[in-house]
Amino acid sequence: MNRIETAFTHIKKEGKLAMMPFLVAGFPNFSQSLKILKVLSQHSDLLEIGFPYSDPLADGPVIQKADQVALKAGSTTSKVFELIKNLRLTTEIPITVLVYANLVYQRGIEKFYRDARNAGIDGVLIPDVPFEEISIFLKAAKKYNIDNIYLIATTTTPRRLNKITKVAQGYLYLTSVVGITGTQKDIPRKTLQYIKQIKRQTRLPIAVGFGISNLSQVKKLKINGADGVIIGSSLIKLIQKSNTNNPQTLINFLKNLNY
Amino acid sequence: MPSLLELEKAYERFKKNESMQAELKKLQRDFIGRPTSLYFAERMSKATGQKIYLKREDLAHTGAHKINNAIGQGLLAKFMGKSRIIAETGAGQHGVATAAACAKLGLECVVYMGEVDMERQQPNVIRMRLLGAKVVPVTSGSRTLKDAINEAIRDWITNIETTHYMIGSVLGPHPYPTIVRDFQAVIGREARSQILSSEGRLPDYLVACVGGGSNSVGLFHQFINDSKVKMIGVEAGGYGIRSGKHAARFAGGREGILHGTKSFVLQNADGQITETHSISAGLDYPSIGPEHVFLRELGRIKYVSATDEEALSAFRYLSETEGIIPALESAHAVAYALKLAKKLPNKKLIIINLSGRGDKDLPEMEKGLKI
Repeated sequence: MNRIETAFTHIKKEGKLAMMPFLVAGFPNFSQSLKILKVLSQHSDLLEIGFPYSDPLADGPVIQKADQVALKAGSTTSKVFELIKNLRLTTEIPITVLVYANLVYQRGIEKFYRDARNAGIDGVLIPDVPFEEISIFLKAAKKYNIDNIYLIATTTTPRRLNKITKVAQGYLYLTSVVGITGTQKDIPRKTLQYIKQIKRQTRLPIAVGFGISNLSQVKKLKINGADGVIIGSSLIKLIQKSNTNNPQTLINFLKNLNY
Repeated sequence: MPSLLELEKAYERFKKNESMQAELKKLQRDFIGRPTSLYFAERMSKATGQKIYLKREDLAHTGAHKINNAIGQGLLAKFMGKSRIIAETGAGQHGVATAAACAKLGLECVVYMGEVDMERQQPNVIRMRLLGAKVVPVTSGSRTLKDAINEAIRDWITNIETTHYMIGSVLGPHPYPTIVRDFQAVIGREARSQILSSEGRLPDYLVACVGGGSNSVGLFHQFINDSKVKMIGVEAGGYGIRSGKHAARFAGGREGILHGTKSFVLQNADGQITETHSISAGLDYPSIGPEHVFLRELGRIKYVSATDEEALSAFRYLSETEGIIPALESAHAVAYALKLAKKLPNKKLIIINLSGRGDKDLPEMEKGLKI
């Protein structure tokens, strides 16, 4: 069992929902980013780390801004790998990365996955590569034993979902809303119903992200069968606001979402 | 992705649907004012010793070739049962064309436009609003066309069920480049028959500016198999290629992936998209339609660039010599054609695609040319 499977098995046994924070690597800068990630790794079940990108199409204004700040602070693809390598020295938590296709392509697909393996990354999600074009990425992912994480939404048809679940590994990343990342107040009923529908088609854990920020959303997701929640924008907003080296606010925030 | 598959299927049906095609033809004639003329630029020809024709897309309704695609995709959207249209715009020409097409066809219209572009293409912002469109300023990134496309895509993936994304150039994921090319190919079909009837032969050269690349592909497409017709695409050279501040993808870029398209892209070593510069908003984009990459590899089209300064002087030249104020984008094509005309032996037959008129550029010109 790899780290992701182990984590979800463990969570399931405890009857909990996996807490999966998302942060942009190098935001607000390299050293603070590493420090925050190290702290979060002790209070969550899986970390999702974003490679900052100039044109993050699937992201709302909060993550866009964080990407820009990280890039301005000098974040590069190599530095993100270095950061995660450093982080990996201190934790066995599963780490997945979100990276836009051009960054993978420019590094060389094979080299990207090799570097990911060496850095201790367990899964890769490329939000701007559709299922139809994934095979070259998938080949490299397999070679280096990295899980390929897929994004799905309520607009994903059963037929398409069926194709995806045949090759998906780790977990399915379900977007709570059809659209982009960013804080929402509620979870659309359609999404909750959709979770049940997916459960009939696959045994893969379902992690829900995009717009998760409060406990009532988390409860609803849990009741309807989700296995994990990904918390991104609302966490990043907190970091922007607190502007401090004290990570206690972040820990408290996550603790309050624990259910 | 499912929406792209839906679009592809719908477009195949649309192409075969006789009443749709008849309606498209009617709108091209009565609403757009097609065919646009192929105009013999007499004084320019005399001055250069060549025979230069201008394909007058500036005379198309709303002032540029963009309306060809907007009307086509507007009909397609209605055919698909979509009620809301979103679009991105750089120079504002595609935005205006989309707004006009939506007004005409009774569709809701939202246009995303970078703040920088809204400033430099003010008249078009007013026109879009008059035509009933909502213009949304885009404040992220370089605040130009690239970022407007980002926002439009974000809107589209959020409102995918009701909304058709009307891409304005031969860009984006399949089937967009094909759809846009097909709707723009009317330019080349007309030009080919017009030059045959006025000169009795095919042209030696076709010259067009290339941003995303829709006006150039529109003109070139019908001539691809005429191997003797040389084709030249003119990219935005900005302050010059060496300055690094330009939008010449073939001179300064390499293969990459942007906005769902694998093409030539201006980017840094990691693949972060770099900021571009051009005096013309419509050419100020870090990538280029994928078909251009293909045609360049085949050696069928040659790509060059014209600087801001060359475009400005061509802008003035065409205004004073032929009584036609070109769009700054089209002025890049005129600039290179003038350079080419000087080098060639006399009496070569050249068609320049005058893709749009320059009214939208007047406020900026007032600053630059000190009129």
